[in-house]
Amino acid sequence: MNKNRVKFGIGSKFSISLLIFGAVLSISLLVLGICNYDNSIKQYYNDTAYQIAGMVRDFYTDEELLKYADLTTRYNNGEDVSNELNEVINSDSYKNKLSLIETLRKNVGANDINICVLDEDVLKNFNQSDYDNYLWNPLYYIVDCYCDNEQSFVLGDSGAILAEYRERTLNSIQTGQPSKEFYISSGSFGYNITAVSPVTIDNQTAVFVVVEIPMSTLQENIRSYILQVVIIVIIFSIVAIVLFRMYLIKLIIKPVELVANEAEKFTENNNLISEELSKIKSNDEIQLLSESILKMEHGINEYIDNIKRITGEKERIVAELNIATQIQADMLPSIFPAFPDRYEFDIYATMNAAKEVGGDFYDFFLVDDDHLALVMADVSGKGVPAALFMVIAKTLIKNRTMVGGTPAEIFEYVNNQLCDGNKAEMFVTTWLAIIEISTGKCVASNAGHEYPAICRAGGTFELYKQKHSPALATMENMRFKQYEFEIHSGDRIFVYTDGVAEATNVNDELFGTDRMLDALNKDLNATPEHLLEIVKQEIDAFVGDAPQFDDITMLCLNYYGKDGIC
Amino acid sequence: MDIKVHSDGRKLNVEVKGRLDTITAPELESKLKENISGITELSFDFSALEYVSSAGLRVLLSAQKIMNKQGSMVIRNVNDSVMNVFDVTGFIDLLTIE
Repeated sequence: MNKNRVKFGIGSKFSISLLIFGAVLSISLLVLGICNYDNSIKQYYNDTAYQIAGMVRDFYTDEELLKYADLTTRYNNGEDVSNELNEVINSDSYKNKLSLIETLRKNVGANDINICVLDEDVLKNFNQSDYDNYLWNPLYYIVDCYCDNEQSFVLGDSGAILAEYRERTLNSIQTGQPSKEFYISSGSFGYNITAVSPVTIDNQTAVFVVVEIPMSTLQENIRSYILQVVIIVIIFSIVAIVLFRMYLIKLIIKPVELVANEAEKFTENNNLISEELSKIKSNDEIQLLSESILKMEHGINEYIDNIKRITGEKERIVAELNIATQIQADMLPSIFPAFPDRYEFDIYATMNAAKEVGGDFYDFFLVDDDHLALVMADVSGKGVPAALFMVIAKTLIKNRTMVGGTPAEIFEYVNNQLCDGNKAEMFVTTWLAIIEISTGKCVASNAGHEYPAICRAGGTFELYKQKHSPALATMENMRFKQYEFEIHSGDRIFVYTDGVAEATNVNDELFGTDRMLDALNKDLNATPEHLLEIVKQEIDAFVGDAPQFDDITMLCLNYYGKDGIC
Repeated sequence: MDIKVHSDGRKLNVEVKGRLDTITAPELESKLKENISGITELSFDFSALEYVSSAGLRVLLSAQKIMNKQGSMVIRNVNDSVMNVFDVTGFIDLLTIE
C-alpha cells in the first residue's frame, strides 16, 4: 500500500549513491594505479635500455670511438674523407662489431641500436625552416643497427633529432650525464623508449650510444590492468549494493513501512491502537519512532475521549438550555389576543433573549375585573443566573400584586424578599403600573427602569419622565416612590427594556430613545403587535451584523376606554 | 475595556475605560475582588467610560455594599450618558457620585 506511494524510496536512493561512490572510487583507483604502474614500467625499460647502451659501448675501445667520431664529423662537415670511410666500413673490425650489435639487438628485442656523434654547434644553431625541410641534421652516425636492416645507416650518414630533444641532448653533451627525462616516442609498434647514453672520453662527451626499445608489453599490461580493476569494481559494487540493500530493507525500510502502515491503520480502524508497534525492539531510532507514534496514538485517543465527553456534556447543556428557554417563554404570557373578551384595551408584548435564556421579563394580568397590571423588568446580567432571578422576581411581583395594594407597597415587599439571601448581588429594574380599566387612572412605580413612552390620542409618542427609585434588590428596607396619571380613549403606552435603547451597531453607536421614538411614530394607527414589529425591524436595520448584546423586550398597550374602540 | 488599578495602602483607585457590559463586567469584578480587602477609600475614575450596562451596575452595587461596611466609595468624572444610566436606574441615590 505504502510502496506504491513512495516514488523514489530510500533503497533506490542508497543504491544510486553507492553506485556513484563506486564509480568515483574505481576511476580514482584506475588513474592512481595506471600512473604508478606506468612510471615504474617506464623506469624499468629506461634502465634496461641504458644497460644495453653500456654493453654496446664496451664493444669499442676509446681509440676506435674517437677515430670513428672524428671521421664522421669531418665527413659531415664537408671534408673529403670518403676513402677513409669506405676503408673503415669494409674493415673486419667494423663489420664484426656491427654483427655483434645486431646479435645483441635481436636478443634484447630492441628496435634500433646506434652509436653517433651529436654536433654541439649544429644543435645550438637551430633553424625551424631547415628543420622542416630535413636540412638540420646534428646527428652523425658511426654505426647503426635497425630492425629493418636495409634502412640501417652507416658511418658518415647524418640524421635529425626531434627539436624538443635539443635542450636535453645539449645538456648531456656538456655534463656527460644522460638526461633524467625519458625519451618516449610513439611509433608504428606502439610506444618506444630510447636511451641516449653519452660516452665520455678524456673528460669530453665524444659519442652517444642510442638504444631504442619498444614498450608494447606496457600497453597490453595497462589494458588488462584497467579491465581487471573495472571488473573487480563492478563485481564489488554489485555485491555491495545487493548486500547493503538487503541490510537496508531489513533494518530500515521494512520497519519504517511497518510503522507507516500501522499509523495508517490507526486512522482506518477507528483509532485502534496497533500491537505491532509495541513489538518493535530494535533498540534504535526505529524503535524510538514507533514508541513516539504509539504514544501519540494513545494521546489522540485520550483527546478524542475527552472531546466526546465534553461534546456530550455540551449537548446535554444545550438540550437543558433549550428546555429552560421553553419554560421561560412559557412563563411569559404569550397567547394573543390575551384578553379576547375585553374590548377596552388591546395589548401585545415580545421578548428576544440575547442568550438562550434571558433576564428580561414582561407581565400583564387582571388583578380584578377593573384593574390591569403591567410589568416590565430587567435583571442585571444575562444567561442562567439572570433567568433564575427573573423567575423569582416575576413570581413575587405577580403574587404580591394579586394580594392588592399600590405599586410602592408591592415593590417594598418584593424588594425585601429579593434582598433576603441575595449573595449574588443581582438586582432587577422594574416598572409596574396598575390601571383602573373603567376610568383610565394609573398608579405606577419605577424601580430603576427606563421611562415609558406614552402617546396621547392624536399626538405622538413621548417619554413620560417621572420620579425614579433604585432597582429592586439593591438595598433592604427601601421605600419606593410612585406616581399617578390618567389615560384616555386612544392613548397608548409603550414600555421596554434597555436592550431597545442600547442596541449597538458595528460602530458602537447606541440605538437610543430618539430613534426609538421615531420608530414608534412611524405608524400611529398601528396595532400593538404591528408597532412592536416596526420597532424590531428598525433595531435590526440599525444594528446590522453586530451581535445582539442584550435581551430586547417590549410591551404596548392601546387603551380604548370603557366604551370600546373609538 | 481597559482597567487600571492603582493601590496606595488603604486607598484604591480604579480607572475604567471603554464599555462596562456583560462581557467586560466579570473582569472588573475579579480585579476588585483581588484588591478590595483592607481598603477604606475606593474611588472610580469614569472619565473614559463610555457605557455601563446592568451587569456593570451590579458590580458597582457589590462594591458599594462591601465599602458600606469597610469604608467609603466615590465615583468621579462620570460623563452624561453614564450619568443618565445612573439616573434612570435610580443608582444615583445609592452611589456617591462627585
